[in-house]
Amino acid sequence: MNTFVYRNQTVETLFGDDGIAYSGYGDISLVPQDVDRYIWCYQVPVNADSTQLAQEIASYRDKLELVLSKIDAHKPFIIFSLVNLFPIKLTGDDVAVDHAVMDFNRHVAQLADHHPNVKRVDFSDFTSRYDAYTLVNWKYFLMSQSLINPKLARDFQAWWRRIEGELALKRKKCLVLDLDNTLWDGVLGEDGVDGIKLGGDYPGNAFSYWQRALLQLSRNGVILAICSKNNEADVQEAWDCNPFMELKREHFSALRINWTDKVTNIRDIADELNIGLDSFVFIDDNPAERELVKQMLPQVTVPDFPEKPYMLMPFFKELVERYFRIYAVTAEDRNKTQQYQANAMRRAQQARFADLDSYLRSLLMEIDIIPADDFNMPRIAQMTQKTNQFNLTTRRYTEADIRQRLNDGWRVYCMSVRDRFGDSGVTGAIFLEQIDWDTVGIDSLLLSCRVLGKGIEDAFLGTVLNLLHDEGVQKVVADYLPTAKNGQTADFYDRIGMECIGIADDSSKHYVMTLDKETEIKDYYKIKVL
Amino acid sequence: MNLEDQVMEIMRSVFGIEEISTDISQKNCERWDSLRHLTMASELEDAFDIELEPEEIAEMTDFSRVVSMINSKLK
Repeated sequence: MNTFVYRNQTVETLFGDDGIAYSGYGDISLVPQDVDRYIWCYQVPVNADSTQLAQEIASYRDKLELVLSKIDAHKPFIIFSLVNLFPIKLTGDDVAVDHAVMDFNRHVAQLADHHPNVKRVDFSDFTSRYDAYTLVNWKYFLMSQSLINPKLARDFQAWWRRIEGELALKRKKCLVLDLDNTLWDGVLGEDGVDGIKLGGDYPGNAFSYWQRALLQLSRNGVILAICSKNNEADVQEAWDCNPFMELKREHFSALRINWTDKVTNIRDIADELNIGLDSFVFIDDNPAERELVKQMLPQVTVPDFPEKPYMLMPFFKELVERYFRIYAVTAEDRNKTQQYQANAMRRAQQARFADLDSYLRSLLMEIDIIPADDFNMPRIAQMTQKTNQFNLTTRRYTEADIRQRLNDGWRVYCMSVRDRFGDSGVTGAIFLEQIDWDTVGIDSLLLSCRVLGKGIEDAFLGTVLNLLHDEGVQKVVADYLPTAKNGQTADFYDRIGMECIGIADDSSKHYVMTLDKETEIKDYYKIKVL
Repeated sequence: MNLEDQVMEIMRSVFGIEEISTDISQKNCERWDSLRHLTMASELEDAFDIELEPEEIAEMTDFSRVVSMINSKLK
């Protein structure tokens, strides 16, 4: 890369001579066009006459403007802020030079706001490490015209390499966030608006810091989006009612709050916002979701999520430094969130489908189906009490209720799931009522939301149906009873191949299925019936 | 490492040249320009913990003068 440096002192000791050419001292007559970038690195000269010095500094601004007007607007123009390296003040209140320096630096900041190719470098970030007598070595200055002590050349070069790295950094544009256990502690659909932990004591306060930090990130031009398996109405209620919610709907440029897989959703968001997938960072507490996105969308950056809420702020700092830090923010950056929101509204949405089978196969899922016993009964009762989202009938049972039904000849199974990311434990249950000698009714079917999205519900029910088929059961009947939370299961039985034989006024649906053949189950589930 | 070798090492790094002989001088070495001359002087000051005056720095125009200047300072 060829660089041309505008300077008013010797700075060759700092930048070297490898691919770098220099202007004469304070000379702006030469504006070479065959270079890749320009650096403006002026030093405040030493002059005990502060009035004269202030005037000289004021003249730099016009010189700088003139050069800027002559260079290609697509080529980087890196401007060092001015630092008074060796201030001489004859009276304590002599601020003429300070003001001139501040004026120049303010002006550079404005230029950077209005010219995308102008990058401002805060030189005081380097000089503030040293006192005036270290910064300026008069012996060498008088021999070389180099105001910056040549003995600091190595330190400068190390610092400058870091700054160049930051200048060249390709920043990510969009942060896609999950909601449950990512923006707050808990599961909205299970714990409710009041039950999720946000604000107050630990761990809620950790998520408050995290949300406030993310809000600042969005104000600095990073686009935020949501991709969450949730009911949108629940999330809206949380936004409306939870006083600790720092991040609200208006801070997100795109929302995908639904039960579609996250790969499809992220592709959708990329289309809607019209940003490349390589500009995306995806944050989710669930390792299975992260793995899915990593495998299906390798362009998307997927960092590991901290396991402990108190690690959220260190995680945020790392996120900023690795993906979102740029040297300076322009006014355009700051408006980006609004721009993307507006664009998103204009764009029509397109449905996309991802082939999930290869991903699901890679999870190495194992499902155990276990009849209810004294050990798992408390957990089964608890699930009927707490599970709202994937729950076909939402009938609540106590342990005593379950025991009673077992005595009446019902069969109750629970389901335990493991995959290569770990053991989810008992996370599903089904209650079967013998209605007739050849007919069984599904009284309840539920799955905890943490195992959803992997087709486990299909495999679970399919296995149970095959059990019944093997026993000689001819017919299965089932109901879907709608609630405010279980909308995602409205078509579950239709999808599984049951026949809907009636829809009541309250939208509840009644199904029947003739068990004349085995239900097909994907071969990547390793299923054991105990 | 003796003094000559130390000086050689500093010249190698300041001038960016691998092969340096003892007859190197400001005249026969293109990369020994005025700025690298000062860089070299400042490195020598740090390496040997000495102070070189501007007039002395100006005299150090070839390898043997550099070595004898440092020797005189170290006495």
